[in-house]
Amino acid sequence: MAAMDEVNSHFSSYPDYVNQKLQIASDTFTFAGLKSLINFPQTIYMVRDPLLTASIGKLELIDVFVSLGHKIPGQPDSIISQIMDGMLVAVHDASGIIVSIYPVPQPNSRPISMPTMENSIGGATSAFNEDLEANIVLLRSHLNCPDLKIQAYNFGGHVKSRVILCYIDNEIDPHLLDNLTQKLEAHQKTEISNLEEFAHILKFSKYSLVNHYMTYELPQNAVRALKNGKAVLFIERVPFSIALPSIFSDFFISEDDMNHPPIYLWLLRSLRFIGALLTLILPGLYVALVSVNPDVLRFELAHSIARSRLDVPYPAIIEALLLLCILELIMEAIIRLPGSIGPTITMVGGIVLGQAVVEAKLVSNLLIIILAATTIANAVVVGFQNTYSLRLFKYLLLFMSAFLGVLGLLSGLLILCAYIAGIRTLGVPYLQLFRARGEKNV
Amino acid sequence: MKLRIVIGLFLVIMLGGCWDNKDINHRALPIAMGISYQQGNYEVFLDIPKVTEKNEGIQIISAKGNSISAAVNKISMNLEDQVDLLHLKVLIVDKAFATQGLSEITASTIRSRHISPKTMFVICDEPLDRFFKGINNINNGDGKEIYDFFQKNSGWNPEIAHTPVWKVFRSIHSYTNDVVLPIIKSGESTAIQSMGSGILKNGKMVARLNNEQTLLYNVYDGNSLDGKIEVIGKATVQIVSSRIHNESKFVSGKPVLNSELKLKVIILDVIGNPSVEVIKTELQILLRRVMDQIFRKVQLANADIFGIGQHYRDDLPRMELAQWRTKYLPEAKINLEVTTTIRNTGNLKLR
Repeated sequence: MAAMDEVNSHFSSYPDYVNQKLQIASDTFTFAGLKSLINFPQTIYMVRDPLLTASIGKLELIDVFVSLGHKIPGQPDSIISQIMDGMLVAVHDASGIIVSIYPVPQPNSRPISMPTMENSIGGATSAFNEDLEANIVLLRSHLNCPDLKIQAYNFGGHVKSRVILCYIDNEIDPHLLDNLTQKLEAHQKTEISNLEEFAHILKFSKYSLVNHYMTYELPQNAVRALKNGKAVLFIERVPFSIALPSIFSDFFISEDDMNHPPIYLWLLRSLRFIGALLTLILPGLYVALVSVNPDVLRFELAHSIARSRLDVPYPAIIEALLLLCILELIMEAIIRLPGSIGPTITMVGGIVLGQAVVEAKLVSNLLIIILAATTIANAVVVGFQNTYSLRLFKYLLLFMSAFLGVLGLLSGLLILCAYIAGIRTLGVPYLQLFRARGEKNV
Repeated sequence: MKLRIVIGLFLVIMLGGCWDNKDINHRALPIAMGISYQQGNYEVFLDIPKVTEKNEGIQIISAKGNSISAAVNKISMNLEDQVDLLHLKVLIVDKAFATQGLSEITASTIRSRHISPKTMFVICDEPLDRFFKGINNINNGDGKEIYDFFQKNSGWNPEIAHTPVWKVFRSIHSYTNDVVLPIIKSGESTAIQSMGSGILKNGKMVARLNNEQTLLYNVYDGNSLDGKIEVIGKATVQIVSSRIHNESKFVSGKPVLNSELKLKVIILDVIGNPSVEVIKTELQILLRRVMDQIFRKVQLANADIFGIGQHYRDDLPRMELAQWRTKYLPEAKINLEVTTTIRNTGNLKLR
């Protein structure tokens, strides 16, 4: 067959390409596929069994053969694309009928396991992984409800990827759904392989400083997002769900909280809020109090701070920037390092460097305490991506404090509030608690 | 948008004025300032705790000038740090200056905004150079005694008057309200010694109260934190809480103020075997006597430290109110009624 020959020559250099003939009764079948994607022995067994039964039972072999999968046209292009998708292509040599069969796939994902970025205390611990189908299974098992709508989109022309959109019909804001499906349908030709490309499709601003979406590894978090009227998306080979849009309370509210008694729940949430405020304010407050408005301090405190800064050569802002820079370096370095070396860096960076820097009179003792508190407080907010925003915003407050003191700190907070109040994600204002409600025509 | 951000950043940086910020360790932070006035010349003393590793005592610096700010500037010029008066806690003037009148320096203190209006105003009973030499004794401690002495959460006692600069300023401009300032001097066994208080009328010191009278004044003013009163020959009580209720009226053109003072006290020690009732009546008699003493002084000096006139502000037109101190106050009468509740008598029973 000419088409099959072309396909064979296309795949001739592929080491995992298999082209196998099979004789059943009087008919010969050719099977082609990639053994890296298909478990061949099991698939062949699965295909041969009904055909053998048919030939013994004197049934029409062709009919049974066609019913194994779906017929595809005999063009080489379509055959190649089916093979690339991981399907088994079977050809009935005599009639030239080509059928694409869903095979037993090779396992290509890790099994469902513990989350790697999120921690769950008291909640379920099985997390989403790279396998799209497994993710849907997880989501369905957490949200067994007929209103759960699942839509699949195919993105990309040459390189393909699937995106699955989930939402609950009665809960989701209709404007949000409109905006989202419009944007997804309008850009089907674009490739999506990372979140940046995804954000580009949804037309999020490149200069946005907060996250427009939350990424969840734990299905219960995704389910809560769904119930709160958000949309949840899965991208092929991206090992987490994307909940759209993110709102202000995502900084502080986690599904895990619901496993605690209400008083502790609110205490925990307020703790996170205080943590977020602290990490924003503390470095700025230090600079404002030490160099611009020492009059705000109690006298005893002012005196002891002055003593702790006795031989420090730099102004407070330089001092703070110096140490903040080192802290950021440590935080970035720890991500890159293998787990076995990470603690060493932490120790060298945190203890040895911190102590030495104070001994060398480059920074004051108090600053070390403040920056340690800042870094710890930074980690209390929910969602790793959210910590990036806080890490950046604190520099705004730091500089404003260095310029205008306590007044600058407050105006910096005001700027932040104004900025956050102005953010829209697909027509949904960012500054909302609990439910994401949208607006018309944005 | 980008242009706007750039312009905004530019303005913030250029208008912020952050280059002349001085870090806290380059500022001298005086806690007390002494001011004396002789022949048109101010002499200013600054009490600056030393900023050193070992926390060793204070530095007393003095300078003379035509005005306070000129003198402070002279100190700042000669000092290696910049003098920052915002942490000033105590403002000390000598007795001669206080008798002469403090309205000018009060006004300039409030106006300049370099000194907090919460700064304590204090009169010194001895020449300032001797006083500052006295408190700058290394044996006294870390050099912050003068600050702690007036702090309500450390050294302050209800026998000491507690008057910030803003109250003095208010009294100068009010028809019906005068203040008392604490009087101190350097002590022999302690760094500072309380010498009672001075009554300030329109910024001038006109009379003095002793420590016991100051305590009653503070109780009347609602300022009695753990004050101890000795009921002579009978007992010592400690005031736990006090509440005062005033009723003002005119009786045949003369202001009469009925004050009901409710005291809750604890008995600390007793002499002999007095009953609870005896202690109560003795306490009432004692307080009335002290009150009479003070009130006589007040009427003599025409200085309304209790703010009695405040209760008659709605009875008198403003023209009349201007004469409150001279016309009405000398004729005023206070009927003090003391109701005492003895909250506990210690572990021992009283009859």
